[in-house]
Amino acid sequence: MGTIFLKNINKSFGSTEVLKQLSLDIQDGEFLTLVGPSGCGKSTLLKIIAGLEQQNSGDVIIDDKNVNSTRASKRDLAMVFQSYALYPHLTVRKNLETPLKLRDYSFVERLPLIGNFVPSRKEKKKSIDDLVFKTSETLKITELLDRKPGQLSGGQRQRAALGRAMVREPVAFLMDEPLSNLDAALRVHMRSELSELHNSLKTTFIYVTHDQAEALTMSTRMAVMIDGELLQLDTPSEVYNNPSSLRVAEFVGSPKINTFAAQISSDGSVEFMGIKLERKFNTNSQKALVAVRPEHLEITKDSNKPAFEATVSYRENLGSDIFYHVQVDQSESKIIVRGSPQAGLISNGETVRISPSHAEAMLFETSGERIR
Amino acid sequence: MHHSKAHIWFVWPAIILMIVILILPIFLAGGISFTNYNLGNSSFEWVGTENYEKMFSRKTYIKMIISTATYVLIVVPVSVVLGLVAAIMLNSLRFGADIYKTIFFLPVMATLLAMAIAWEFTLHPTLGIINSFLANGCGGIREFILGFHWLPWVSSEDSWYSVACANNMDFPYWLKDKKTAIWTICFIGVWQAFGFNMVLYLAGLTSIPRELYNAAEMDGAQSTWEQFKLVTWPMLGPTTLFVVTITTIRSFQVFDTIEILTKGGPAKTTYVMMYAIFEKAIQQNITSIGAAITVVFIIFIILLTFFQRYVIEKRVHY
Repeated sequence: MGTIFLKNINKSFGSTEVLKQLSLDIQDGEFLTLVGPSGCGKSTLLKIIAGLEQQNSGDVIIDDKNVNSTRASKRDLAMVFQSYALYPHLTVRKNLETPLKLRDYSFVERLPLIGNFVPSRKEKKKSIDDLVFKTSETLKITELLDRKPGQLSGGQRQRAALGRAMVREPVAFLMDEPLSNLDAALRVHMRSELSELHNSLKTTFIYVTHDQAEALTMSTRMAVMIDGELLQLDTPSEVYNNPSSLRVAEFVGSPKINTFAAQISSDGSVEFMGIKLERKFNTNSQKALVAVRPEHLEITKDSNKPAFEATVSYRENLGSDIFYHVQVDQSESKIIVRGSPQAGLISNGETVRISPSHAEAMLFETSGERIR
Repeated sequence: MHHSKAHIWFVWPAIILMIVILILPIFLAGGISFTNYNLGNSSFEWVGTENYEKMFSRKTYIKMIISTATYVLIVVPVSVVLGLVAAIMLNSLRFGADIYKTIFFLPVMATLLAMAIAWEFTLHPTLGIINSFLANGCGGIREFILGFHWLPWVSSEDSWYSVACANNMDFPYWLKDKKTAIWTICFIGVWQAFGFNMVLYLAGLTSIPRELYNAAEMDGAQSTWEQFKLVTWPMLGPTTLFVVTITTIRSFQVFDTIEILTKGGPAKTTYVMMYAIFEKAIQQNITSIGAAITVVFIIFIILLTFFQRYVIEKRVHY
């Protein structure tokens, strides 16, 4: 079992409110990412779940048991830290043994010399050795067991930290930006490894990241947090395609979603940049914002399609995709459009016609709520 | 190919200075220790190892070694442990830490000379406040606490306090008694050194990443002792090495308290090496013996440094 409920969590440091009435319901065996810009309180939330930080009010319930007054070491969770926090003076083997020894050995068995004479220690030592070996095989770090963390590369350290969390079978794994210290290629590689690990362990993972790509690729559900509030909790595709508010839409997705000022007529039809959307919306507002993702804007030569004109000011060629930063008028801010390399390169300064995909355009109140 | 010799010209002033100021005096002392030279004499004779033989056969020098060893072996461990304990306690304080730091550091900042005079008054057998405090406490609560009457196995008639009270206020003579002098000097040494060690440990403690404690907590290290064993102590390894080395060398060099308070006495019980060198070479003008003690002193320090370099450093994680 590994269900975790958070109920109305509040946390403030001095007068700064970090978490505001946050509730979250994490199911057994799911890979939940807490994603949000830095400073949104996601790491604090993870520490509150772990018990390393005390909430000001609210409840943390693990496996139907209220753990508000249970200290971190008794909550039976494992954590992987951003800095890995391996014990630098111990070999990888000793690092992996530490959580097992601290939990399984009695006080007498842990004593440096006398402990060796306690008969039960021998059996326990054997089972600890087996567990360490098994874990190191899973993570492919067996040949690194006798090295110290200082002699390992970033990726190897990351594995060792993962190993230390994995050796015992915790209720859930908590990960605090574990990949952010790795280089880009390794990060992408570790993403898939972590997903596989989750599939094979079937334990609850709670994963904190500021990188929405990690959240989108790995998680079964993602919780988008901004300014200490949980804005949306849903599957990655739902969060991406159907964001509940403009802030979520702007945070998730790279490059950032484009927004346009729009006018709504009394019959509910929406017009922006001289284009009338085919769909009608049910709202009383007269002004709103239309948001369209870069891939849903098309550079078109077809003069029959409803479109607006813009000037290309900057071109980002990523190989598989090309993103054009275009300027609509002098006054408007820049818009990003995805073009396919097959269509041929458009050079800076050229004027293009841009046509939005009507089905994918989303409408938001000027205050940020979604209009459906 | 042309080789420029210019680099030699740049280097030689420094090398010559180094030899003249740092290396030559040591060899000079080594040389003098094998002669009977006294400062001011126009000639000298080589006497071989006579000076050293004197050192290891005469009672005075045996006492010198014993008092120096006692001082070092008491002051180093006690001031290091006290410094560590004080640093850990201060580190956990939320406020007021600065005041404590200042107070504990005061003995380090104050000149030992002035402090030693203060100690001399405090510890005076008849006029000092310590003994008058003890004398006024006869039969009272002070006698009960300091006489250890609260321990079940101490009878209230036989405790040292009661005996002293009964014998016309015969309290310890501290620096004037050969049984207590060296311990009193050690106490002043600890009092003076531990504030410095505490500051070094405080610096070491702040450099331990918080996440390691969090990791230890998640791994199940519940008691403060477990966390200390798993994180604090190993991470303080380099600091401890430095603190122990510095304190040891400074303890070997103890001089000012001895010079002011005891002059090596009573009965040579506080006759430490530095004071012996001073007495022989400067006061009695027996330069050759002074040189021999200096050489032994240097050998002690070098042995210690080697021990630190090759034995302890291997066990310390950086």
